Formats: sequence, C-alpha cells, structure tokens
Amino acid sequence: MLPEPIQNLIFALERLPGIGPKTASRLAFYLLRAPEEISGSLAEALTDLKTKIAFCQECFNITVAGRERCEICESGQRDGSVICVVEEPLDILSIERIGAYQGKYHVLQGVINPIEGIGPDDLKIRPLLERIRRGGVLEVILATDPTMEGDATAQYLHPRLKALGVHVTRLARGLPVGGDLEYADQNTLLRALSGRQEMG
Amino acid sequence: MYLTHLSLTNFRNIARLDLDIPRRVVLLTGANAQGKTSVLEAIYFLAAFASFQTSAERQLINTLAVSAAAEAERAKDGGRIAVARIVAQFRDNQDQRAHRLEVRLVLEPVGPVNGQRLRKEVLLDGVKRQVNDAVGHFNAVLFIPQMSQIIEGGPDERRRYLNLTLAQVFPGYAHALSAYTKAIEQRNALLKMLSERGGDADQLEPWDRLLAEHGSKLIHWRIQAIQELEREAARVHHRLTRGAEVLRLAYDPAYDPSPRPGRQMSLKMDAPVDRSGLKREEIEKGFLERLAQARPEEIARGVTTVGPHRDEMRFLANSVDLGDYGSRGQVRTALLSLKLAEVEWMKTRTGRTPVLLLDEVLAELDLQRRADLLAYVDGTEQALLTTTDLHLFTPEFVKDANVWEVEGGVVRTQKEE
Ligand SMILES: Nc1ncnc2c1ncn2[C@@H]1O[C@H](COP(=O)(O)OP(=O)(O)O)[C@@H](O)[C@H]1O
Ligand SMILES: [Mg+2]
Ligand SMILES: [Zn+2]
Repeated sequence: MLPEPIQNLIFALERLPGIGPKTASRLAFYLLRAPEEISGSLAEALTDLKTKIAFCQECFNITVAGRERCEICESGQRDGSVICVVEEPLDILSIERIGAYQGKYHVLQGVINPIEGIGPDDLKIRPLLERIRRGGVLEVILATDPTMEGDATAQYLHPRLKALGVHVTRLARGLPVGGDLEYADQNTLLRALSGRQEMG
Repeated sequence: MYLTHLSLTNFRNIARLDLDIPRRVVLLTGANAQGKTSVLEAIYFLAAFASFQTSAERQLINTLAVSAAAEAERAKDGGRIAVARIVAQFRDNQDQRAHRLEVRLVLEPVGPVNGQRLRKEVLLDGVKRQVNDAVGHFNAVLFIPQMSQIIEGGPDERRRYLNLTLAQVFPGYAHALSAYTKAIEQRNALLKMLSERGGDADQLEPWDRLLAEHGSKLIHWRIQAIQELEREAARVHHRLTRGAEVLRLAYDPAYDPSPRPGRQMSLKMDAPVDRSGLKREEIEKGFLERLAQARPEEIARGVTTVGPHRDEMRFLANSVDLGDYGSRGQVRTALLSLKLAEVEWMKTRTGRTPVLLLDEVLAELDLQRRADLLAYVDGTEQALLTTTDLHLFTPEFVKDANVWEVEGGVVRTQKEE
C-alpha cells in the first residue's frame, strides 16, 4: 500500500480526461522525485486557475479575474455588429488563429442536451438575447459544432434571434459532420466561415 | 459478389483461421458446437456490422484471449487488450475489383477500477471507416431457422430485419437510422422533463425537425423496399406453393403519410395501400405536422408515440395474417420466399449478388422445399451452408460442393478418406 499523499495524487490525476492509472502513477512519482520548484509552480497554477480566472460578463469568454469584460469585448478594433456564437472558449481560439474574423463572440458554455439535463436556461442564451436587444448587432453567426446537439441548439436559437431583427447565419457545411470546431483545420474553418449561409 | 479469402483471429472458439474460399457452394459440416455457425456469423458481420446471435459484442471475442488480457492487466504487463479480427477479401462484380474488409473488436481496459471498453474498428481497403459508411460494400443474405421470428415474433423483430436489410441496399440508411435513433432519445428525455416538471414546449421544435428529416428518409425507403420485396416474394411464394397461396407484405407505418379516406371503414388487410408515389419532402412535412398535433399527448405521456421506430409490417397468405394464424409449415415457406426474394431484390437494387449464408436450414424444411432451395443455391454465385447431417443433402449436391469439416474451431478443407 502506498502512503496516502501519493495515493491521493494518483487518484486526482486519474480523474483527468485522457489519463489512465499507469500515466497517473508515472506522473505522481515523477513529481515526488522532481525539484520542489516543479510541483510548486504546478500547484500554484492550479490554484490560480480557479481564483484568477473569471468569465467575461458580456460574452462569457474566459478572462482575468477582476476584469468585467474580456480583451475582445473591450477592443475598439472589433466590429460589434457581428456576433459569432460558439460552444466553448476554445472555439474562439480556433477562430482567432485563422485571423480572418473581425467581429465579436458569444460563448454559450455548452449545447442543448436533454439526455444530460441541459436545457436552454442552463446555457448563456438569455444574456445573448439581451445583448442583441441592446442594439447595434446586425448579424449573428451560429458556429456551434456540426453535431446533432450543436445543430439543435442552432435551430433553437434561429427563430428567437430572427424575432429580434438580426441576420442569422450558420457556418457552411464542409466541417466534418459530428466533428468538433476545436479540431477543424484552419483552411476548412476559414472556408466554413466565409461560406456561411443565411439560415432558412 | 463472392469472398475469395477469409481470416479470423480470436473470433468465438476460432483462435486462428486462414482460408481461401472458392466460388459456388461450400458445405460446412461437423458435430454440434464446433464453430460452423461462428464462421457464418463472422461473414455476416462484414455485411451488417452486427452479430445475428448477440448484441453483446464482447461475447464474440475468444474467451481465452479475454482472460489472457485480464491476466496481463492484473500483472501490469503488456498485452492487456483482447482483439477479435475478421478479415475478408472479396470481389465485387459491380466495380470489377477486389476489396479487403477488416473488422476489429478491441476490448481494452479503462479507468482505475478494472473497467473495460469495447471498440469496433472497420477498415475498407486499408482505410478506417465509420460503421455507417462501411455498410453496403459487402452484401450477404442470412437464413437461419430462428428467423421465423421475423414473421411470428414481435414488431421489434420485423423492424430489426428491415433495418439490417435496407442498410445494405440504400446508402445513407444506416446513417439516417442512427441519427433518428439519437434524436428520439434526446426528444424522449425532453418530453419526460416537460411532463414531470413542465416548461417551454417550444424546446421540442429542433428535435421535431430532426425527427422529421431523418424519419422521413426511413419511411420513404421502407415504402419502396417493402413494395419491391413483396413483388419478388409473391412470385417466389407462388412457385414454392404451386400456386396455392398468395403472399403479401403489408407496410403499416406508425406515421402513415398516405391520405386514406374512409380508412376505418375498409378492412385493413384487404385494402393494399399504394404509397409509392409519395415524395420524401411530402412525408417530412406531414410527419412534422403530425408531431405538432401529437404534442400535447406526447408531453402528457413523456414519450414519442409516432414515427418509424413504431412501424409495423405484416405477412399475409391468402389474406390471413401469418403472424397470428400461420401454421408452422406456412411460416417456414413464407420465410423461405422472403429470403429468396431478398436475394433477388438486392441483386436488382445493387447490381451485385449477395453471398448466401444458410445455417442448418434444411432440417426444418420438407422434402419438396429442400429440393427447391438446393436448386436455387446451386445457381447462385456463392453460398456457405452449415449442417450436422450431410444426408439431408442429395448425393449430387454434396458431390458438387466443397465439403469442409469443422472441429474444435478448426476448419479442414481436405476430405480425409
Ligand atoms: N467467445 C467465445 N470464446 C470461446 N468459445 C466460444 C465463444 N463463444 C462461443 N464459443 C463456443 O464456440 C463453440 C462454437 O459454436 P458454434 O459456432 O455455434 O458451433 P456449431 O455451429 O458448429 O454448432 C461453442 O462450443 C461455443 O460454446
Ligand atoms: Mg450451429
Ligand atoms: Zn467578452
């Protein structure tokens, strides 16, 4: 039997996605032997993650704690008349990487998924509608993943956005069906973005 | 089409098998529990990507391989996964080419507490494919006596039969079916939530649309398939019964897209409905309207009540429903008619002859039907049959066939005199 502190660390690591028992033990023993500084900075980073990071109150992207709004929302360079709606903050990173999009974002923080008990009220949908009611928005691009739940979420949003008098577009097909925006290659994503179509 | 080579690894009781398969007829013979059915099961897996014997696919992996992997897991050694592998080479007379199809069933450890996960990998000509995209490249028709359940069993059996058969023929069917099934699960979860806790019923809209989109495809294909199968089956059945019986296949969709005035008046059985002129878009639109009508009731019940997941199909001989009133003999003959019709229908639709797989079917048929079936098999491109008793076959048939002996998971292709 292993001493409790190391056992606890192994169990904690195992709960992370993509890490099995073998990797977890290897990491734990590595940290045990490694210089204090390595485990220290890891511990600090982990604590900071929860205390120093917050969500932007405008678009719900991640931002530094203490800031009301994220860099993109505060930037004067970005076109506030277009909002691109994504599932997760990582999707913003993917779209930013192609460097072709000048509008703003809105992070839903998930998709509608009744099996998992996730309905519209569990997502940042109401703040999105309020944002648009405040005016100035002409187009909303629905960039949820091309999965069944991503499509259903876009379908749900469509009439509700339309009622507010904005253009609603959906990323062009061509993204692999069932795929994940986060993993789409840059060219595919660029094509999907520039080929976006008005939702019918 | 026909198989030219089959190799199996850790499939059921077959640790290792490597066989060139000739065209025409192969007769697998041997005592019970030696592995005959398993060979057919493996071949059918390449057409349906499902077993006809079990839905628990881990049962297909050789138990010795599974326990060896578990042992390695306990000892924290390498080799902690168990793999069953089916690899076939076949020739497609449609594109005139040789293909290689491989299925791997991989049982691997997951999580901290001895969890296991079964992964299914499919490779067509060396390229990894989704199951839904791989189906339809290799076609087989399977005939086992238990299939009388298609006629006598519950509606699930008939829907399963339709799904497995139609997926081989219509590209896109398998995909539409899994999308439809997934949409139903989501929609039912939402209906349950709405019925228990209330809430905004408009949340159903996206799921209604998905249901109608994919469901209309299933209905549209089923209309065509059942009508075409009926035409073939009626012809075959007329011949098998020497003109004594008229066989009908009646599609009874849960959401019925055909406007049928005075439906309640006429006796369902005697009034065949022709839905073949309907377009998919019309079906989609009608289905969507029907879902809107059914909404209050469905919310109250917390479940989706209409749609192809509730479809029914009936077999009628001289207007009598065989599911309810068929004699053993009548059902067996109707099943034979259906199976032979299936082969002909697949040929017409795909331009390819499916490989015929017959498991112990002769013992169940009377002499006349046996002769009819053997005459048919004799004329087909490739057929694999199993039997414990070679005497059920005529000496001429046995003489012309490749007779292989199966014993303890090993297939011997040489006759030992
Ligand atoms: N996963 C498995 N591992 C090892 N043996 C199995 C497995 N599944 C089934 N068997 C055994 O394989 C044998 C072959 O069965 P089957 O192919 O039905 O034989 P046959 O058709 O010749 O009567 C049976 O004895 C059965 O118990
Ligand atoms: Mg058997
Ligand atoms: Zn922001």
